[in-house]
Amino acid sequence: MKKRIAAIVLALAALGAFAQMSGTYTFGGSTTVAPIAYAAIEQFQKDNPGVKISYEAIGSGAGLKSLQEGKITLSGSSAEYDAAALKGMVAHPIALDGLTVIINKKVTGVRNITLDNLAKIYHGDITNWKDVGGKNMPIVVVNRDESSGTYASFWELVCQKPFGKKIAYTKNAIVTKENGEVAVKVLATPGAVGYVGMAFAEEVVKAGGLELYVEGVQPTTANVIAKKYPVARHLFLITPPAPGAVEKAFLDFVLSPKGQAIVKSTDYIPLPR
Amino acid sequence: MVKRRLFERGVEKVLFACAFLSVAAVLFITVFLFQRGIPLFRKVSVLEFLFSTRWEPTAENPGYGILSFILGSLWVTLLSLVIAVPVGLSAGIYLAELSDKRSSTAIRSAVELLAGIPSVVYGLFGIAVITTISRTVFGGSGYNVASAALVLSIMTLPTIINITEVSLRALPRELKEGSLALGATHWQTIVKVLLPAARSGILAGVILGMGRAIGETMAVLMVGGNAPIPPEGLSGMVRTLTMNIITDMSYAVGDHLTSLFTTGIVLFLFILILNLIVQLALKSSISGIEGDTGA
Repeated sequence: MKKRIAAIVLALAALGAFAQMSGTYTFGGSTTVAPIAYAAIEQFQKDNPGVKISYEAIGSGAGLKSLQEGKITLSGSSAEYDAAALKGMVAHPIALDGLTVIINKKVTGVRNITLDNLAKIYHGDITNWKDVGGKNMPIVVVNRDESSGTYASFWELVCQKPFGKKIAYTKNAIVTKENGEVAVKVLATPGAVGYVGMAFAEEVVKAGGLELYVEGVQPTTANVIAKKYPVARHLFLITPPAPGAVEKAFLDFVLSPKGQAIVKSTDYIPLPR
Repeated sequence: MVKRRLFERGVEKVLFACAFLSVAAVLFITVFLFQRGIPLFRKVSVLEFLFSTRWEPTAENPGYGILSFILGSLWVTLLSLVIAVPVGLSAGIYLAELSDKRSSTAIRSAVELLAGIPSVVYGLFGIAVITTISRTVFGGSGYNVASAALVLSIMTLPTIINITEVSLRALPRELKEGSLALGATHWQTIVKVLLPAARSGILAGVILGMGRAIGETMAVLMVGGNAPIPPEGLSGMVRTLTMNIITDMSYAVGDHLTSLFTTGIVLFLFILILNLIVQLALKSSISGIEGDTGA
């Protein structure tokens, strides 16, 4: 009986500590993770009044470095680091980031594209579908504006290997501000190619767009999870091996069903259960 | 008696305050715009800003050249006037001089409706119809100078038609009657007497339309392609000054944000110059008419 009371008291104390989480915290890191972080922080702060968190979008590498130097207590990362680079920090996968390449269905003959050719199209080296096995038809490149996390993701996943880290998309591309605008322009323009978050691509396909296979792999969530589809990656939150109470609670919140719903609402793919 | 005078004076003050409000608004906007935009020139020279086409505000070595967008705005605006002025003038003349009552009522309400359609709807229409036409005619993507100009020309039509009609109707009857009495035909009267007499008003209408075209954002954003490159002919993609501001506004920080205000200054100066031209033109044409009648 005494033991049980002690347990209850302990639990209550723990709860009390949990409810009393407070203070100001600085997180930072990947710009790709930023939309998830911002939305999750907003909700987390509502649930835990008294906690103030900021997330600085300084890039995955800079985020990890600041974490190791103790300047921040949690970092977001779109890169997968090995143990040597992590130096004892722990990376927790929180979401998947997959991009689907969509084309206007009037480009007959092209259903599959290699990563290399896709990079060349967006770098401006290939400008006709006949060079990638399709009809003789000019390629109308539809790109996002620079504010979009997807804009940077696509460069990193597709173009960075052949063309380097510095973003150098072809300038001769339609610039769009939203996923929806990409869809409208690709659907309305013969020869158009664009890219959208995988969650949004379903809508585009329903409306009559065509998704391209990349390296022979269909862009599906299952293929992303199986690491077969190349235009995809995991997103992480990185913490010290023994994270503080708020950091731990935040990580748990992002991994909870509520947090994963936020992941979905920001156009990323929730982790498979 | 005193009470009445006080009331009169009170009314005068209130009306003056209302009138002054618009002056104050212009002043505030000007000061604000220049205050936020001018600091860019500490980092970038005026010449580079106006005459370079390198717009790479987020690059490591950023480039803030807006020549592409100035050219884009000029191209699209002038081209839209080339289409809208002849059509608008003709329609205005028809409404003022030639139409019967029934057709003029129908046309006038159509023109009024045209003026009331939100620009985003013009943009949707542009994506669905005009880009398709433009693609068939000029090739390429269809999101180009020609599409943007065509959408703008439809949007500026109501202004030009209305003001042409009103200026023609405002002419004294004697002008027309005199001309007809001297044996001129109706058409000769319109071309040789009425149009020259109404030219100041018509010019004002054209410039007002031009102002609308140069300031329009949403519709051109939807059909222009928005690529930050100088427009290459009718089938080239275009980004105008307004499109540049709205595209980058959502995420610009630091110098990049300042450069958007500076872009705003350029736009503001464009409109200012247009207005000055109108006022000069109006003045000279009015004194011209007075000179004619005086002689």
